[in-house]
Amino acid sequence: MKQTTYIQAITDALDEEMARDESVFLIGQDIGLYGGVFKATKGLQDKYGKMRVIDSPISEVYIAGGSIGASLVGMRAVPEIQFADFITPAMDQIIQQAQKVRYRTGGEWWAPVTFRVCCGGDVGGGIYHSQINEAWFVNSPGLVVVMPSTAYDAKGLLKSAIRSNDPVIYFEHKRLYRSVKEELPEEEFLVPIGKADIKREGKDATIISYGYMLHQSLKAANTLSEEGVEVEVLDLRTLLPYDKEAVLESVKKTSRAVIVHESNKTGGVGAEISAFISEKIFEYLDAPITRVCGLDVPGVPFAPPMEHYYLPNPDRIVDAVRELMSY
Amino acid sequence: MAAATKKTSKKKKDVDHPFTDKQLLEVYHYLQKTRLMDEQMRKLFRKARFAGTFFSAVGQEATTVCPAYLLEKDDFIGPSHREIGACITKGITLKEITTQIYARGNSVDKGKSHPCHYGRKDINVINPASTVASQTVLATGAAMAYKIRGDKHVAIGFFGEGGTSRGGWHESLNFAGVHKLPAIYVCQNNFWAESVPASLQAGVKKFADRAKAYGFPGVTIDGNDVVTVLKTTKEAIDRARAGEGPTLIEMLTYRWYGHSEIDPADYRTQDECDLWRKKDPIPRFEKYLMDEKILSRERKEGIISEIETEIKEAIDFAEESPYADPEEALTDVYGENYG
Ligand SMILES: Cc1ncc(C[n+]2csc(CCOP(=O)(O)OP(=O)(O)O)c2C)c(N)n1
Ligand SMILES: [Mg+2]
Repeated sequence: MKQTTYIQAITDALDEEMARDESVFLIGQDIGLYGGVFKATKGLQDKYGKMRVIDSPISEVYIAGGSIGASLVGMRAVPEIQFADFITPAMDQIIQQAQKVRYRTGGEWWAPVTFRVCCGGDVGGGIYHSQINEAWFVNSPGLVVVMPSTAYDAKGLLKSAIRSNDPVIYFEHKRLYRSVKEELPEEEFLVPIGKADIKREGKDATIISYGYMLHQSLKAANTLSEEGVEVEVLDLRTLLPYDKEAVLESVKKTSRAVIVHESNKTGGVGAEISAFISEKIFEYLDAPITRVCGLDVPGVPFAPPMEHYYLPNPDRIVDAVRELMSY
Repeated sequence: MAAATKKTSKKKKDVDHPFTDKQLLEVYHYLQKTRLMDEQMRKLFRKARFAGTFFSAVGQEATTVCPAYLLEKDDFIGPSHREIGACITKGITLKEITTQIYARGNSVDKGKSHPCHYGRKDINVINPASTVASQTVLATGAAMAYKIRGDKHVAIGFFGEGGTSRGGWHESLNFAGVHKLPAIYVCQNNFWAESVPASLQAGVKKFADRAKAYGFPGVTIDGNDVVTVLKTTKEAIDRARAGEGPTLIEMLTYRWYGHSEIDPADYRTQDECDLWRKKDPIPRFEKYLMDEKILSRERKEGIISEIETEIKEAIDFAEESPYADPEEALTDVYGENYG
């Protein structure tokens, strides 16, 4: 059967939504003529024309703010941020406009923009092409933040994001573009925003993760299973607003929780999830909540041994779970 | 709101323009309404009737009223903090302005934003964010949408000369130049950005010259001459609607009072202020209308007393209106339920 890669799932989702809704348009650097630096938008300019797949100047403030302005008057914009690292100039418009426009206008206006943000390490990208800065956005209520780990979720979440009337930061992990694939249904499907997904069932401990680290967590779970420890792996998928019920339900069942993410630890998503679990179901816990995260350093370093030292890996996740099991 | 200009009226004097007497009188009405409303809001702030501050635009009315007057309902306005005139002229009611300034529950934003951030969706005036020149980016995005769809609408971004120093402003004008977007950029050069003089804002003498870098026309005009502002803006709007691209219009003007009501504005000289008060746009236009027998003393008094009644009603309405329930703070975060 036909296998669809994570990146092809993204291209297909864009294609389907553009065909279905004339108000959907794309804007970004190198996305048209070139089809995107990773080819996520390949073929779409030929199909939809230069004004629906716009090759923009190197102007992140405008890519974000122009998308928001267009969305205020009835368009659904899907800007591409070529590397999450370069979203910094766009933050001005994302925070001052996209995040706040519905609130500051008492619900009069809203900005249905899906920011496709290419992110992540373990690709030898170095300090300016490897970042995942999801925590900045998760700390910004009014935004929706999602990060798929599979081709199915990549497609279904992108379609839901484009149809949502809220601004969505859609993090797509470049390490997964071609390394992850699966058979996808022929018929149309959506993945709901705000719903986590159990990617592996277990009873002894819960690993909460997303993106590339979800796969590293699954590898760790396989190793642990051989030792007789059955780990549940919960894919958060939506980081804001996240699926609180699913988190509590799983941890109530297993009484142990590890949160795994690639970005740095302090002030990260893991800190939020951990605090939330202990506020709500402290009495269910058999061990402290643990985090396995990237290092608290300014970026992902370039030299391969340093990059691997920075990134969480299955061994570190296994160690963390083993330690929890020893309580 | 203007209807499209129809026929050229016969003028005795040598001022050549395409506007009818009726249109000129409507513009006069909006100028007076803006001025009188603005002065009232200043007084009320001084009497501590509302919190925060107020950004007076007294002295600058022509620069915002005239462009807004020439727009159609579906054209987009991206205002900043000093565009009360554009908002009133495009159709924001005085009650919407007072309830917004008073942060009452029945204002458009339910009290969530900040004074002077007026807007309404059905007339395409986006309630602004405070970030300087930010709505210039949005207006450019709206113009991009019009181009994608082939709509005949235009978008105006309003900003001060200080706003032209921001990166997003340059990125927007650059993009508008590349795609010949139906956008009009109105720079109100009032020579000051809070306490920073224009000479410290830019290396160019004329802010309109910035347009050269983006491949479209930039013009500098007397922003206190109503007919000139109307004519120049009309040309820019016509160009935009015809698909000929954007125009940057620098309008020289002056704010009479502080940056906001909490600013004593002691960085300026009295002479400079006096000089600009003599160039007040409203009496200048009024004299023209009276010389041309378009406006009479009685008509003027009628207009003013009508406006004063409307202002009083709007203030009473806001003062009698309650704040929203504090729990309203929890609403308008998301449009969808993700639970
Ligand atoms: C990004 C940003 N920086 C600073 C401010 C504070 N601020 C508000 S208005 C203003 C001056 C604006 O000057 P100008 O653009 O000339 O407009 P004017 O006030 O003269 O109408 C400043 C510095 C702000 N609101 N946003
Ligand atoms: Mg100024």
